[in-house]
Amino acid sequence: MKKRFLSLMMACTMAVSLTACGSPSQETTTAAPKQENTTAAPTTTAAENKDNKDNASDAVTLKWAIWDQDTTPYWVALKDGYEATHDNVKIELVDLGSTDYMTVLATQLSGSTSAFDVVSVKDVPGYATLVQKNTIEPLDSYIKADNIDLSLYGGATDQITVDGSLYQLPFRNDFWVLFYNKDLFDAKNLAYPTNDMTFEEYDALARQVSSEDFGSQIYGAHYHTWRSAVQLFGVLDGKNTILSGNYDFFKPYYELVLNQEADGICRKYTDLKTESLHYSAAFAGGDVAMMNMGSWYISTLISKLQSGEYLKEDCGNWGMAKYPHAEGVEAGSTLGTITGIAITTGASDKDAAWDFVSFVSGTEGAQIMAQTGNFPAIMTDEAMELIAGLEGFPADEQSKEALKVSNLYLEVPYHESVSEVNSILDTYHASIMSGEMSIDDGIAAMNEEIGKILK
Amino acid sequence: MDQAKGRKKLSKETKRTLVAYSFIAPNFIGFAVFTLIPVVFAFILAFTKWDGSNPIQWVGLGNFIELFHDTFFKAALKNTIIYCIGTVPLTMIASLGLAIVLNQKVICRGVFRTISFFPYVASLVAVTAVWKMLFSKTGPVNAILYYVFHVPNNELPQWFVGGLVMVSYILFSVWKYMGYYMVIYLAGLQGISGEMYEAASLDGANTWQKFRSITWPQLRPTTFFVVVMLTINCFKVFDIATLLAGGDNNTLTPSSTVLVHYIYQQAFVNWEFGYSSAVAMVLFLLVLIVTLIQFRGEAKFSNS
Repeated sequence: MKKRFLSLMMACTMAVSLTACGSPSQETTTAAPKQENTTAAPTTTAAENKDNKDNASDAVTLKWAIWDQDTTPYWVALKDGYEATHDNVKIELVDLGSTDYMTVLATQLSGSTSAFDVVSVKDVPGYATLVQKNTIEPLDSYIKADNIDLSLYGGATDQITVDGSLYQLPFRNDFWVLFYNKDLFDAKNLAYPTNDMTFEEYDALARQVSSEDFGSQIYGAHYHTWRSAVQLFGVLDGKNTILSGNYDFFKPYYELVLNQEADGICRKYTDLKTESLHYSAAFAGGDVAMMNMGSWYISTLISKLQSGEYLKEDCGNWGMAKYPHAEGVEAGSTLGTITGIAITTGASDKDAAWDFVSFVSGTEGAQIMAQTGNFPAIMTDEAMELIAGLEGFPADEQSKEALKVSNLYLEVPYHESVSEVNSILDTYHASIMSGEMSIDDGIAAMNEEIGKILK
Repeated sequence: MDQAKGRKKLSKETKRTLVAYSFIAPNFIGFAVFTLIPVVFAFILAFTKWDGSNPIQWVGLGNFIELFHDTFFKAALKNTIIYCIGTVPLTMIASLGLAIVLNQKVICRGVFRTISFFPYVASLVAVTAVWKMLFSKTGPVNAILYYVFHVPNNELPQWFVGGLVMVSYILFSVWKYMGYYMVIYLAGLQGISGEMYEAASLDGANTWQKFRSITWPQLRPTTFFVVVMLTINCFKVFDIATLLAGGDNNTLTPSSTVLVHYIYQQAFVNWEFGYSSAVAMVLFLLVLIVTLIQFRGEAKFSNS
């Protein structure tokens, strides 16, 4: 009898412990990186709490969702910068990783909007998702109350306005430039790419600089597998956008790139995809003369050349030029990608959260971003000088000049169906580039499928 | 007295049931929380429109009607069916062949058995990376085609693009999973009594006749199990497609997408849980129908 009772009890405890791990297990996984981040903090908080025991109730902790803390220096810099001037606020960084950051974030916020107080928003499709899920706050009333001057953002905020409301403020703004390897142009006695090139001139230059000599093949150009690297040459005229529902304007650019592929001027898309060749490794290999890529690559190049991961003889002599442009379009028109910061609808202290958001997206945050070699959303001459003055930044005037943007078009502007549009464009981009579909068929399929969504 | 006895007996029985339940409970509670409830919920969701946060809207059969006009769904369905038709018989034949060969007294039998089972144990991510290298445009497989079979450079196949991508999936899947089914077949083969073969030999049966009249019928229950498991696993294919053809942004074209990938994409990229559940229901029905047909076929065979 006793034995039986014992076994029953044991079984019950087993059952209870199992069900009990059901929900907390999820939390422990998310809590793990959190603990790492805060290990340094407790000593200071403990000390502070002792000092102002009566103020303890005023202390606010803001949970901030971010990605790749170890490889992205600005998160901690922004946190430290804010905490230095705000004694009673603690910023807790929660690293969700970069690969599927927006998916993980949206899933967590679907469960509970109070999972975070402040969230970083990586891209516009992800922003659209968060807005539609009612997980982030409209910021209009705060912006109005604090008299934030939106014109400082150079028009970027107009492209992410949802029904007249703004749900995030950008704090980082990257734009695309043309990176080039000076050594390869020198070897052929060719002039470097200029800051004012048409696509025809660019194509001709790519063909001149490339060589197919066995063992020392030089690729004139390199296009990463993202659709932005090919398709979006077409939106630089300011007339076409990816939300137009008609994508015939992609055609000349697909032709440009696919002809270059066929003639061995650039690496083949299918090879890049099967070999999973990263754009940074491609350019660092020293056999790519020109590569269009976002300005985020500047800090990667500088730091990896300094650490010795990239060899100076391969790509140490690099420069930058403005994006090539179509005939009749102003030079310096380029693509932009913004990274934003938003307040969740479940944030415990929204005013405190807003204060932090306005710090990060404001001029003080911009200063910190520039100091870490990143382009802030508020681009001032001072920030520009800071970045151009970084050790390892190309010394020539042209590369500095290349940072001046005349027109910035977001890679993905806001639309309620932008996630779906984005994934259809991605799919048919892959179909066209891999040769599964002809350019015309692929574009026709984009027109049809996206037409159904935009109606 | 009688009453007291009765109560005691009843409580004893209740206790026994309770003990039984308590042993099932850990497994069942886990199953209910993580499988049963979500599955039932998905059944309901298939008739709704829901993004995970906003209120659920009832749309009736709307999702299913939409499926008929959905190019990507049709492509994914077609590819999944092609994949199953290719993979199931090939894996079965390959694993049966391996099992028969490795059931004989060959030299280093243990080593060969281990080698055949190895792909199944190896990490999927690691082996797909190797396959991508082997089958890349300039990889060893194409090099053999070029140097040995003199296929011209511009006609070398691209294994992860267009029509060939399904062939790559199927080849990969057969190679990866034949070891596992080989083990099942080996167990089946060892269950066949040696006396049968002896008797057949005395009657002058040759190897093929022995296989047809003894091995194959005796293995029928094993084959049934193998085919059912294979079919179910084939319809669930996701990882192989994503890893072999997905690239770094996990984009599958209409010629390489599969149903489960489309379910994932609708649910966690487009946040259409309702529509995604509708696709999942189609997948469920497909597996159910195929399995029912197999069960019926098996029942018929065992009766005759």
